[in-house]
Amino acid sequence: MILDVKGVTKKFSGKGKSRTVANDNLTFQIEAGEIFGLLGQNGAGKTTIVNQILGLLTPDEGDIHLLGKSVIGSTTRARALCSVQPQSQVPLGFLTPKQAVTLMGKMRAGGRFDPKRVDMLFEALDMGKWANKEGEKLSGGVRRLTAFCMAVAAPGKLVILDEPTNDIDPVRRRYLWQVIRELTNDGTSIILVTHNVVEAEKTVDRVGILHGGQLLAQGTPSEIKSSVSNRMRMEISLDKDSKLELPKWALSSHLRGSRMLFSIDPEQVDATIKWASDQIKNGAIIDYGLSPATIEDVYVELTSGKELSQV
Amino acid sequence: MTKIVSEYKYVFQMQFLRNSGYLVFMALIQIMISIGIVIGFTYLIADPDTSSILYLSTGAPTLILIITGLVILPQQVGTSKADGFMEFMRTWPINRSIILGADTTLWVLITIPGIVVSSFVAHFMFQPGYDVSWTVVPAMLMIALTSIGVGYGFSYLLSPTASLGLSQIIVFGALMFSPVNFPMERLPEWLQLLHEVLPIYSMAEVMRASLAASTFTADAGNYINLIVWCILGYGGAIFILNRK
Repeated sequence: MILDVKGVTKKFSGKGKSRTVANDNLTFQIEAGEIFGLLGQNGAGKTTIVNQILGLLTPDEGDIHLLGKSVIGSTTRARALCSVQPQSQVPLGFLTPKQAVTLMGKMRAGGRFDPKRVDMLFEALDMGKWANKEGEKLSGGVRRLTAFCMAVAAPGKLVILDEPTNDIDPVRRRYLWQVIRELTNDGTSIILVTHNVVEAEKTVDRVGILHGGQLLAQGTPSEIKSSVSNRMRMEISLDKDSKLELPKWALSSHLRGSRMLFSIDPEQVDATIKWASDQIKNGAIIDYGLSPATIEDVYVELTSGKELSQV
Repeated sequence: MTKIVSEYKYVFQMQFLRNSGYLVFMALIQIMISIGIVIGFTYLIADPDTSSILYLSTGAPTLILIITGLVILPQQVGTSKADGFMEFMRTWPINRSIILGADTTLWVLITIPGIVVSSFVAHFMFQPGYDVSWTVVPAMLMIALTSIGVGYGFSYLLSPTASLGLSQIIVFGALMFSPVNFPMERLPEWLQLLHEVLPIYSMAEVMRASLAASTFTADAGNYINLIVWCILGYGGAIFILNRK
């Protein structure tokens, strides 16, 4: 086991006697080679738990073990075992991506660092053309990619990526996920902190949903989805003047402009498709889409208390 | 040991390259300020005698070190606090004192051009009576470390806004109300007492004693004062960097 977080609570004192509970009795583990998605809204306590894993903050209660040894009291070891891409942009100043990534790699691995790794990363992310351009002149996306490369040039046993795909174009996002996946081949574990739930679902092995400092759910994406809801979601485009009568098995419905959303039990899929095909023949609806509930649906339901149908 | 040296090297390279564009700019400003102090103040004083000019030309290097450590550095620290670089540095897998050490080297280096150029300009324009002692290098290093250490201490401790405010007061106070460019006796008694405690007077005394050894002497109290402030500054900075 790489990381073992046991009952961690962290409070911050605010104005007067007010106390904010940023992390409330968090417990989770991460195995070697695993990608763990830490999902949560702004202010959910994601960065607080990350900072405690790195030893930048000390838990008020509970303990964190990295490779079997407590982080509290050996923070330099924790920082050597973990490499981090921070959520905020890394201000590169006049550093070029190549200089920044190479120096970070050397700082982490010393003489063992192979400079070819930098070229490999830049090639995998198709960012060679910016390799020798000063940081100040680079776009936000390229700076974010550089910060990612700095974290993975000589990765620790645990790589913590805080919103790695922010500002990055769709094509390079795919390359990025590819690189992240490859990192785990040699047993490197990854914590992916994000609120981009759709992307995370495709990549992560396990997910923890953090809300108001508490872990509301954790498990594989399919476990999480089935624990909350196994409904299917039907989305149809209505013809302008149609007076549509929903099938009687539709569970909850919601009309948004000319789009109608309703949810059904999975057993009703065949019947629903037949119903929809008939409606298209009648000219009542233009097209339809049927999809399983996504982890985003679950996430929103868990963290906002809203029903799936209202999403 | 070799690990520390190589980590120091990489941090220094990182910080040097990251700031390379500003460093040239800052060194140029330092040169202008220091020449400005030597020449500019002779306009302020209608008919300066050699003694006044010696005060000015031995005060200029001290002011360069004060401005670097207590004004420019806190501004830079404020920026790196605001843009998140400070927080990022805290995640690096190295001892925080190595980061401070590498940064200090950088700050000391950028003061050198200003000090050298202004001293030569003063010497060739006014022949103020420099009598450079062998202590000049350790003395300047000690003053630089005190100034940089104190700058780190308060800029890490205070919010960026508060430390910016404090550095404005320091630059004004050091130029006008500190016995750097003129003798201590001209100040009111309460200010003299204050300067016995603050490090600025000791910086100026130690600098004078090493640049014009035949005219000025510094006593042990000045050196002790600098050492105490230096330790307080760096100690405070390391404490804040390691705080959780």
